[in-house]
Amino acid sequence: MGTRTRNVLENIVLAAIILVLLQTLFEDLAVVLDWSIGVRRVLLIFGFFFDLFFTVEFVVRSYEAWRYGRLGNYFWYERGWIDLLASIPLLLLNSGPAVLAILAGGVSVVGVAGMLNVLKVVKAIRIARVLRLLRVLKIFRRIKNAESVMAQRHVAMISATTVSVFVLVLLAATMVEAFVSAPSLDARYQQHSFDMIELISSDQMRRAPALRTSLLKMDSAVLLVRDSGSVVFSRHPDSYYLRHFGPGDYGYIEARGVELFVDLRPINQEQSATNIRYFVVIIAIVLIYMFVYSPHFAMTVSDPIHIMRRGMSEKAYNLEVIVPGQYRHDDVYELSKLYNEVFLPMKDRSSGDETEVSALKMDDLKDMFE
Amino acid sequence: MSTDHDKAKAFVGRLLQNPSLRDFSELQREEQIIQFLHVNAAQLGPTLSTPQFFAGKNWNQIFSILLNALYELVNDELLPKLEELIRSKLDLAFLRHMRQTRVDDELVQKQLIAFATDVLKKPDARRNFTGAYSALVFGIADRYLTVAFDQKKYVHFELTKVQRLRMNKEETRNFVRLTLLLRPIVNLGMSTAATQQERSTGMVQSQFAEKVMHTAKSEMKYIPEQALKSAVDASLSFNENRFVEATSRLAAIFAARSRSYQPNMRVDRGADSPDKSWISVSRRNYKYYGFDIKMLDELYKIAAENNW
Repeated sequence: MGTRTRNVLENIVLAAIILVLLQTLFEDLAVVLDWSIGVRRVLLIFGFFFDLFFTVEFVVRSYEAWRYGRLGNYFWYERGWIDLLASIPLLLLNSGPAVLAILAGGVSVVGVAGMLNVLKVVKAIRIARVLRLLRVLKIFRRIKNAESVMAQRHVAMISATTVSVFVLVLLAATMVEAFVSAPSLDARYQQHSFDMIELISSDQMRRAPALRTSLLKMDSAVLLVRDSGSVVFSRHPDSYYLRHFGPGDYGYIEARGVELFVDLRPINQEQSATNIRYFVVIIAIVLIYMFVYSPHFAMTVSDPIHIMRRGMSEKAYNLEVIVPGQYRHDDVYELSKLYNEVFLPMKDRSSGDETEVSALKMDDLKDMFE
Repeated sequence: MSTDHDKAKAFVGRLLQNPSLRDFSELQREEQIIQFLHVNAAQLGPTLSTPQFFAGKNWNQIFSILLNALYELVNDELLPKLEELIRSKLDLAFLRHMRQTRVDDELVQKQLIAFATDVLKKPDARRNFTGAYSALVFGIADRYLTVAFDQKKYVHFELTKVQRLRMNKEETRNFVRLTLLLRPIVNLGMSTAATQQERSTGMVQSQFAEKVMHTAKSEMKYIPEQALKSAVDASLSFNENRFVEATSRLAAIFAARSRSYQPNMRVDRGADSPDKSWISVSRRNYKYYGFDIKMLDELYKIAAENNW
């Protein structure tokens, strides 16, 4: 593959990284702000295609690396593991099922028994979406003040470690919550729904429809109730459901011929708000590393080394390293002092009468000799 | 059919026009090209000995032809500039403080132009003149002397109290300029068998300086003895000759600094400024080069304050 083609592809990937970050933010924002289902569907489908794109990219990169016998190098040292975490799991566990649910046009939560566990698993998967943010690390290569490969590697390493630990701990905690019974908003919500279906499907309530309707009106979580196939209560007109409810926005429970549809949006909104907080925290961490730590690393580690390397390899280069007072005891600056005070004077004496290295290069004469 | 000399001029002319040499002085460009020819002799030799260039000639012959062409082209540019520098940028009014009788400036200028023309005939003198000429072209001495006069510290004290120059700032600057211009005077009598240290530091022994002074006095009658002595002593080590004039010590430092001076040099992030770095290294090597350490200390502070 030519360098130009490779650069074009890298720029496409970079653009996709930025777009997927926006898509991730907007997807959660759409839930929190209760945007119409049409907009949320579009965002979900975009998310699916981004995940598909990054999955294909990961597979192609892995194949290329494998072909040249450097798969391990790609996976461990070139942050291939980030490419993996931010692609296939999201496609299989998050955007893939969501798009399938849209295509199926049905509810994602079916039946009373599975409701609680399914909700918890869905919640865990949604947290996994934050992993997409890890891909922003690829942008480090383009940061102006970190031209040094060493600076890029160190800053990318520390960013990847922090972000991935943050995300993996969140994931693990959510997974644990899914399989360990503990008091939570979800659990209370579910228990409330079970209690409600028990109550409204009881013979006593069925015999007092006015009382049942009053009770259902008071519970804002109840959307719609059908008894023996007939709608006995609906909080909103059908057009409202069509416009605002998609897969995962409502739960369905059935008992003794009574069907209860409950509003899951408050739980989803709470989860999306949490996701946005995580998103902002991680973006802040990455930006701080990029714009505060990266220049600091460059200035206190890679810049002095770069100057000393030039001084040692280029005859005419005689600039000293500036040793900042507060860092004078750092190993790098101790070495810089030796470079300034011992190496450069010695180099100057030993260069003797030799003229500086010529600024001219043989390439300058190329066309003359052709 | 063009001659070897024409071909050499075309080749060297092309090198002189190279954009990477644009900011250098004429003599610096010359040094760069000579260095380029030396470093790339192994590649250039076979190519330049083909019929297209200098058929049948070995590298030494080719180098000699190229060098003559280079000197000729550089002189074509340099001599008019030197003449302009002497006639319009070097105010010789300060010379009145050094002699009893009045001498027409025109005679002094003619003698200086003749001296410069002579200097440029000798390769060693050309090399020694590179730093001094670059210091004049880039105004290195002027900018430091302006600050030193304003600050009135060691350099000012040495010029006004020790050397006892009864001159104002501008006159003193012109005296240092003249010292720089005449500094290669030692090369006019120097044998090619100079020691390695003499060649690398540009310094000479005091006995040799006395001989040069003696000859110079008889040959450059229109230049006052004090000015000639300042120029000759600019090639003496201050560590071995504590009587060396302040103008000579300054000229020695400025000439050495300017030899490797690169205008518009890009400074890496985290690196010190070019002048500050050079003076710092020279402070550590002051004994080797025969510089006045106290002068270097003051110039270092000036460079640091002005980020030069």
